Amino acid sequence: MARRYDSSTTTFSPEGRLHQVEYAIEAINNAGTAVGILAKDGIVLAGEKQKLSGLLAPPKGSEKMYKLDEHVTSVVAGLTADANILINTARVAAQRYIYTYQEPMPVEQMVKRVCNYKQSYTQFGGLRPFGVAFLFAGWDEHYGYQLYMSDPSGNYSGWKATCIGQNNQAGKSLLKNEYDESVGVDEALKLAVKVLVKTMDATSASADKLEFCVLTREGDKCVQRILPGQEVTQIIDEVNTAAASEGDE
Amino acid sequence: PISQEFPGTMSILEYNGGAVLAMTGKNCVAIATDTRLGMQAQTVACDFQKVFKMNDKLMLGVTGLATDVQTLSQLLKFRLNMYRMREEREIKPETFSALLTHILYERRFGPYFTEPVVAGLNEKNEPFVSAMDLLGAPVFTSDFVVSGTCTSNLYGMCETMYKPNMEPDELFETASQCLLASVDRDALSGWGAVVHVITPTGTISRKLKGRQD
Repeated sequence: MARRYDSSTTTFSPEGRLHQVEYAIEAINNAGTAVGILAKDGIVLAGEKQKLSGLLAPPKGSEKMYKLDEHVTSVVAGLTADANILINTARVAAQRYIYTYQEPMPVEQMVKRVCNYKQSYTQFGGLRPFGVAFLFAGWDEHYGYQLYMSDPSGNYSGWKATCIGQNNQAGKSLLKNEYDESVGVDEALKLAVKVLVKTMDATSASADKLEFCVLTREGDKCVQRILPGQEVTQIIDEVNTAAASEGDE
Repeated sequence: PISQEFPGTMSILEYNGGAVLAMTGKNCVAIATDTRLGMQAQTVACDFQKVFKMNDKLMLGVTGLATDVQTLSQLLKFRLNMYRMREEREIKPETFSALLTHILYERRFGPYFTEPVVAGLNEKNEPFVSAMDLLGAPVFTSDFVVSGTCTSNLYGMCETMYKPNMEPDELFETASQCLLASVDRDALSGWGAVVHVITPTGTISRKLKGRQD
């Protein structure tokens, strides 16, 4: 058994695997689903809120979405406490970039910065890796709208549409079939709802379990909008009626 | 004592020249600066920005060494953005002022050669002004604050012309006249001026036509 190679985060197993990193990825696959979709005029991020209890005080901002700078936002899947550290690192890195260069940090560079930080926990120090995966959504003048996914190993990849967290395979297969890169943000929102409805435990999605953030450009500024409850309900209803009528044909 | 490093001037705070004033009105606040950038006697630019918007209801004016004017405003932008993201709200003028004094005092033994001025409206749209010396010693007044190479002139003008609870238009007039008259008697300030009046509904910014000497 490769058991004896499990405990040290920074040692390879005989098969050439880093078990701790893989276990961290497992932790994320049990967390609330998050979806990211690139539309032609913006990016849609969606997340499933997991801790639902009537006694929970509503968070001031958002539970899954975190703004990293004016032009970049993120959605998290995994250990929220670990995510908070990385989010702070990303925010400070973004501000330090503006302070030095007087222009916003290109999206990929920010992703790289976070990922390099995550990677160092798989190679030095003997500390466990971060149990967080991110979907970064942002716009910069070099590459326009971009969507990146990063995981505990420190790897990242650019996507047109993807899904992390619980049941992400089901989500990804739906996206593979139905994603169309020429649609606008409104259509992408509906697709995001469809994906979450498929990946969620409960049979019906509702506004209090889902969070949506849309990143678009208005003039020369980026605008990040977290959708209010009624708008979410409206979109869920539209998706449900469309799904119901689909079955009639 | 005459400075040997900078002959002709007495202090590093006077090297680039400049003047800022901030004045309170009725639910509004004006902040005005000149736009000269000099190197001792020589004028190098007449469009140098010395007042910086921090958010819709908060502005920062900085006089002193030009490089530190820019660095300080950039540093504060950094800190303000972090504050906004962490606290998920806009910073209050009093808090911003406290942050600024902290940042200045951190450099107690190698300070930023600046004397900033904070002007804003708090959540109840009550006007707030404060000023600091280069080490971060703050001053909070209910009427006006001044900073720069012609503070004596500015104090005299403001003390004479100020009256409380002025409406935005009258406040603009008063602030403009105080600034213009003061910088005209100072060789190191002037060469253009800009005045911002912050009100609950927005900020009105105007450039003043002054003596270009």
